[in-house]
Amino acid sequence: MIPVCVLTGFLGSGKTTLLARLLKSPAFARTAVIINEFGEVGLDHDLIETSDESFVTLQTGCLCCTIRGDLVLTLSDILRRRDEGTVTPFDRVVIETSGLADPAPILHAVMSDDALAERLTLAGVVTTVDALHGGETLERQPESIKQVAVADRLVLTKTDLVAEQPAAVLERLAALNPSAPVLPALFGDIDPGRLFDACIWEASGKLAGVEHAPHRHHGAHDRGHDARIACFALIRDEPIPAVALTLFLEVLAEHCGADLLRVKGIVAIAESPERPAVIHGVQHVFHAPGFLDRWPSEDRRSRLVFIARDLPREFAQALLDAIEAEVRETTRST
Amino acid sequence: MTEHADTVELVHRLLAASLTAWHVDGRVEREADRITLVAGGQTLLVARGAPPFRWMVTLAGRERGVTSIAGLLRLVRRAIDPDHQASRLRIAPSRLAPP
Repeated sequence: MIPVCVLTGFLGSGKTTLLARLLKSPAFARTAVIINEFGEVGLDHDLIETSDESFVTLQTGCLCCTIRGDLVLTLSDILRRRDEGTVTPFDRVVIETSGLADPAPILHAVMSDDALAERLTLAGVVTTVDALHGGETLERQPESIKQVAVADRLVLTKTDLVAEQPAAVLERLAALNPSAPVLPALFGDIDPGRLFDACIWEASGKLAGVEHAPHRHHGAHDRGHDARIACFALIRDEPIPAVALTLFLEVLAEHCGADLLRVKGIVAIAESPERPAVIHGVQHVFHAPGFLDRWPSEDRRSRLVFIARDLPREFAQALLDAIEAEVRETTRST
Repeated sequence: MTEHADTVELVHRLLAASLTAWHVDGRVEREADRITLVAGGQTLLVARGAPPFRWMVTLAGRERGVTSIAGLLRLVRRAIDPDHQASRLRIAPSRLAPP
């Protein structure tokens, strides 16, 4: 399987600088790059030195809204060319989104196309945030909030332009996505191994951010746009029947799918108490659950972490309570 | 509290939380084993049903049975929030071989 990494971040937040530096690293030597530029004249691809034709610019519009189909076609095409030997073999694909993109539809395209899923797997989302202007951007640009909310890794860029730690920006990031580590980068300089090690396609990788689930409701109720986005966790001491988990996710997707920015979880399944399930989803699209060989720590509680817009914790809690009760009642009566 | 009463209370809480989650103004009240939901210009009465229906919902004088919490929420939402566009859970295809 070839990992696909999505690099996102608002306009001017340093995505291209970061990508340019990454591609100079030996670890990223065999990387195919897809850049989505928004506008009549694309420049980003000229700012990145590449050695071969494993490099595609999608310039017909914003990847998230107009050319999602183009992304699937492009990915299919570079895989075909890799098979034919007409491009240098690559071991990884990086998609750099336009600064205005909502990353969720892009993740859906990668996750849910049947043909692509046989060969490509979503490896993680890296979001760049400008240390100087990031706070203002999060205040004014709703797209930037979603970009932060879906991230597996947050990269704080332009740290050379601020005199001290941008406490307010870090606080916002922690409120929006407490499970994503924040990594500082100076002129795009960062250890590549720390960026795309989320490995969300592996059960153990999906644990990132779940092992330390937030114990209180994280929200920014006194904020502007992100007042509607909150992170919370549901924690269960008792194992959850598999069918209850499935029904819970189905009903959540049906009623709140568009507002589930990110869901991650490690779940004690009643039918498999020794092997916890790990789940990972973006909006209404979920990876098939993976099962760990064993519990990673003494903590055997189920922990479901939600980053969502306008989704009250009380609804998720009440829904899981009611569905669990229904499943247990049904099981007892049969 | 009996098991049924417990379940009714859980559904009562769920319906109240649902109004908030769906941004629909209204109220949910419980009296014994019956729940009354008033929202979106509709009044729905929800009560436990007999198999195969777990819940009976009375809406506009007509009683309908639903077999699950999922079905109950779907019926309630259609009645009080008809413009809602439901999403369907989609499970990404599993990989065929380890990475």
